[in-house]
This record gives sequence, structure tokens and C-alpha cells, in this order.
Amino acid sequence: MNLMHEVSIIQSVIDIVTKQALENNLTKINNLSLRIGELSGVMPESLEFAFDSCIKGTMLEESTLNIEIVSALGECKDCNLEFPIEHFNKLCPSCNKFCTNIIRGYELNINTIEGD
Amino acid sequence: MSEIKVVANILHTNEEITSQNKRLLNEKGIYVINLMSSPGSGKTSLLEKIITKLKDKIRIAVIEGDLYTTKDAERIEAQGVPVVQINTGGACHLDGKMIKGALDSLNLDNVDLLVIENVGNLVCPAAFELGEDIKITVLSTTEGNDKPLKYPRMFENSGAIILNKMDLLELTNFDKAEFYKDINSLNALATIFETSCVRDQDQGIDVLCTWLRQQIQFMKHES
Repeated sequence: MNLMHEVSIIQSVIDIVTKQALENNLTKINNLSLRIGELSGVMPESLEFAFDSCIKGTMLEESTLNIEIVSALGECKDCNLEFPIEHFNKLCPSCNKFCTNIIRGYELNINTIEGD
Repeated sequence: MSEIKVVANILHTNEEITSQNKRLLNEKGIYVINLMSSPGSGKTSLLEKIITKLKDKIRIAVIEGDLYTTKDAERIEAQGVPVVQINTGGACHLDGKMIKGALDSLNLDNVDLLVIENVGNLVCPAAFELGEDIKITVLSTTEGNDKPLKYPRMFENSGAIILNKMDLLELTNFDKAEFYKDINSLNALATIFETSCVRDQDQGIDVLCTWLRQQIQFMKHES
């Protein structure tokens, strides 16, 4: 049962990693790195907590989780400037228009796995 | 030890199912709303009002997400429109797979507007696409105007935001100017509605319904 969305996310991670590991003839995962966008609404602490609970009995059981936070970036549709944005600050520093084109910050990605 | 570059979207499975749902719903020309809010903000009451106003003009169907009960689905069923209940059994959000199952039990040839009422929660539902045309988030005045600041993603990704329980505004310390200021910095393009669902004295429902019908017509012209 998926009681919180961080648990759903970690269960997807375990499914994807297990499949990739089998395809690459790995039997044990040692390291796993994720890239999580800062606007994604996913808390790294909750992911770590869910990870520790969900990996028991899987080939990730002894693995270490690394989470890289991806900073948010917008691109102005008027002047094409790329600039850092926050939830509450999305104005283009050059033309002061509200940025609707968020090009980075919502990532929920698996980056690399290491195993034997 | 070997390192493998995976670079996979963690929610890939959900997004795959969601795009299948979206394709099917587009083919049928159905406008789909993912209706979200915290528990008790009035999603079901708003929906009852919308159905009452629009059910003679357009064909409406509803998918009701709820942790355990069928209480909301019973209220919608009483309005005489098709409703499918999804019980998540404790999960905090709906996902594409649950919607796919619900779509199987609706006759999609007879629907113009499908409203998916998500599980009451301001956090998790924001991360899961369901194949909707628009996300609409409801906030009620009794919850306080600080909620967009505290739960930005849901408000950030919504095409429309409904400020409900306007009839209680004066009894609360809800600061409307602050609310508009925060929404504007978070999501300047969102259409904002002010409503209340008091029996026989509702406010703002007509404006909301007119806008909804425009969105449906606009989508039908596009396709």
C-alpha cells in the first residue's frame, strides 16, 4: 500500500532499478543516485526514510542513496534569457515578465546505479 | 563494480498510462478536470452546484477519489450523473492506473465533461498527472490565506483556482489581498474564482459555470 507519495516514488525507483540491474547482469546494487528538482514537492528526507523502509528484501538492501537537488530554471519566452526561479519569484530579470516556461526544477529522475 | 547510467523518469510508468488515458479522452472529445484541495474545502459541494447548473446543458461524469468511503460518490449519484468511486485504501493521491480502471466502467461516448475529484490533500496529488486538461485547486477562506505559500506546487500547476466559502470571509482572518499577491507571484496565469455554496444563496457559481462551458467549447473547436 502506498501511504505517501514518497513511498510510491521509491517503489517505482526499486522497480526500475531492479529491471535495469537484471538487464545488466547485476545481482546487488551498491549505490544509487537520484536527481530531484527543487520544485517537485518531494522531500529528500522523506525519500530517504521511504528508501530505508522499502529496500528490505530487494537487491538494493545494502545500497546507499544519493540525492542531487536540481535547482529551478526558467526561460523567458520574450528574450530567451535563462534565469534561476523560485516558487514565488518567476519574473525575468531582464524584461520583468512572468515566466511560464520552467525548464528545470520538476525532475524526479534516476541518474546512475552502481552494483556487482 | 560497474556503474550504469540510467537517466529514467521515476514516474515513467504513471506518465505512460496517463498519456494513454489522455489519448482516449481526447478522441472522445471529453474535457477533463483534476479537482484538488485539502479535505473539507468544499470540492464536493462545488461539484454538486456545478452539476445542478450544467447537467441539462452538457453531459457530465465524475470520478470520485476517496481513501475509504463512498460518501462523496453517493452525493454525486443523487444528482443523477454517472459516477465511479475509486477507494485508494489509504493512498494519498490518485494515479493514472486508477483512472484507467475507472474509465473502463464509464460510457465515454456520452460524456462532455469529466471531473476527477482527487483525494483531499494539498501535497501529493500535485505530483501525479492523470491525463487531465486542467488542474483546478480549491482553497476555502477558513483554511487561511497562507496555504499557497505553504503548498506552492499545487497552486503553481493549476490553470484555475477557486476561493470557496466566501460567505465566511468576514468571520476569518483571511487576507484576500495577500492571497491574490501570492497567487500572482506563484502562477500569474491562473484564472481565479470566488464562490460560496450556501444553500439557495450560492455566489460565483454562474460565473464559474460559464467559464467552464467556454473551456469545453474551446477544446472542441481546437480538436
